[in-house]
Amino acid sequence: MVTQTSLNYVPVVVAAIVSGTVLSLLFILAAVVAPKRRTMISAIPYESGIPPKGSTWKQINLRYYLFAVFFLVFDIEAVFLFPWALTYLGIGAIAFFEMVIFLGILFLGLVYAWKKGVLKWT
Amino acid sequence: MNFLLLLPEISVAILAGCIIIIDLFVPERFKRSFPYVSITGLSLIVVFYIFSGLPSSPSFLQNVIVVDHFTSFFRILFLLLGIGVLFASGEFVEKHIDKKGEYYALILIAVLATMLMAGARELLTAFLAIELLSFSLYVLVSITRTDQRSNESGMKYIILGVLSSALFLFGISYVYGLLGTTIFDDIAQATINAPVNLGLLFGITLIIVGFGFKVAAVPFHMWAPDVYEGAPLPTTALLAALAKAAVFALFIRVFVTAFGPSISSWQTIILIIAGLTMTLGNLVALTQSNIKRLMAYSSIGQSGYMLMGIAAFSHLTISGLIFHISGYALSTIAAFFTIIVYHNQTGHEEITDYAGLAKRSPFLAISLMASLFSLAGLPFFVGFATKFYFFTAVAAEGFLWLVSLAILNSVISLYYYLQIVRQMYIEPGTETAPLMIGPTPRIVLGFLAIAITVLGIYPRFLVAGAELAARTFF
Repeated sequence: MVTQTSLNYVPVVVAAIVSGTVLSLLFILAAVVAPKRRTMISAIPYESGIPPKGSTWKQINLRYYLFAVFFLVFDIEAVFLFPWALTYLGIGAIAFFEMVIFLGILFLGLVYAWKKGVLKWT
Repeated sequence: MNFLLLLPEISVAILAGCIIIIDLFVPERFKRSFPYVSITGLSLIVVFYIFSGLPSSPSFLQNVIVVDHFTSFFRILFLLLGIGVLFASGEFVEKHIDKKGEYYALILIAVLATMLMAGARELLTAFLAIELLSFSLYVLVSITRTDQRSNESGMKYIILGVLSSALFLFGISYVYGLLGTTIFDDIAQATINAPVNLGLLFGITLIIVGFGFKVAAVPFHMWAPDVYEGAPLPTTALLAALAKAAVFALFIRVFVTAFGPSISSWQTIILIIAGLTMTLGNLVALTQSNIKRLMAYSSIGQSGYMLMGIAAFSHLTISGLIFHISGYALSTIAAFFTIIVYHNQTGHEEITDYAGLAKRSPFLAISLMASLFSLAGLPFFVGFATKFYFFTAVAAEGFLWLVSLAILNSVISLYYYLQIVRQMYIEPGTETAPLMIGPTPRIVLGFLAIAITVLGIYPRFLVAGAELAARTFF
């Protein structure tokens, strides 16, 4: 019994060992072989080849956060709606009313956010 | 399925939803009525619930929730505590909190969560109920947005709260992984003959740690003083009375029904935590100068006493524990009510600020004294009756050393409670103008003080209720 479950982990262990060894070898190789020249340009962060512009310490508008949370609400709603749509014929009327209550609660959330001015970008 | 059994919970949820929605559409001057709307709603729910004859059902909703005497007892207790907190909030919220609708709705949601905690019969439902309570408390703690202390305590509370929830879930995953069920009765069935192995012990220990965080047991208590101090006062009252009682209700149900058969593996852990918690809480309380921090450490000490009941594990100790929890919650609400009324009048919350209170408002002084003496366990107040009953029950189970420690700690606690009383009655205050207290706080506080005294002299009803609730398990 024990061996059966333990054996399942053998590939994982092998993969961990192999990837760990290869990675550390690569790093050691790079440290030994690669030429070391510290210049101003080599200290610049890599941004897809384009020289970076401006400071990275930029403030991000808090409204993005509100929108993200708001998006999440409806995203989760969709996640629940898909399996519901597949199975509700088999369950019957109660599934319909349960979903109506769930959507009603989310709708109240929408009303709340709307009245609180989350949808306004000013 | 009989949804009528969940009617109290459903009504509280609808009430909370209504308040949030009404808050959006009415002008500011109508929001003054929110506490009274909520109080009326909760009172109607309590009255209807009691008059409906406390229906109960052994099996319900696929065993996820159970409605029995234990649930009924705590439902009524939590609804009454919620009403107490709402009464205490009115004037404070008017002065310090700008989001009134959310505040009252969140308090109602917290009450809803505590009722679900009392009825949970399955680990994941229990977890969801705890999270519902915690989420409302995270917001309630940091609801005074312009106050830095409130923000800081909200931050501390959410980080440690999330950590404890994660540990709790991790523990649940171990229990589920090893036993294949999360329903309490099935867990008990699965462990009744089998010895507890290391994995299950690990899971149970993690669940104890999760509960330990929520009830602020040593060594998981570090958040409590900061959060109690930074939170707005009515929220502190909610934390100290309602949240603590609810977590203990769930603690009792989980450890008596689910892990009851495996008691020999976790009893020592809880005994040690209980001893540490009561000693450290009461000793550190001696050095406090802020009354909220003092109440925080005193409530940590109280958690220590309550943990004894779970470890001692018998019909008498559990009914004693339920009795003690109700007495503690009542006294705490009364104490915080006076602290809030005093804060509304003066804005002070240091212990030395209470100097001369007996001259400025004899009524406030005597109610605070009654509730503090009740917390300390002096005769004629409910705290004495509950401690006497509870400690006797624990001693009868053979834990004399722990009970001796608890009694020693009660004596220590008397010292710091008396410090406040000394300030109020003996120290001359710098201000002497009498305090004007409105009729509502006067009536509610008077009622609470009388309830503490009457239940201390004649505790039979409460004892009978606690006995009945504990008989669910034994």
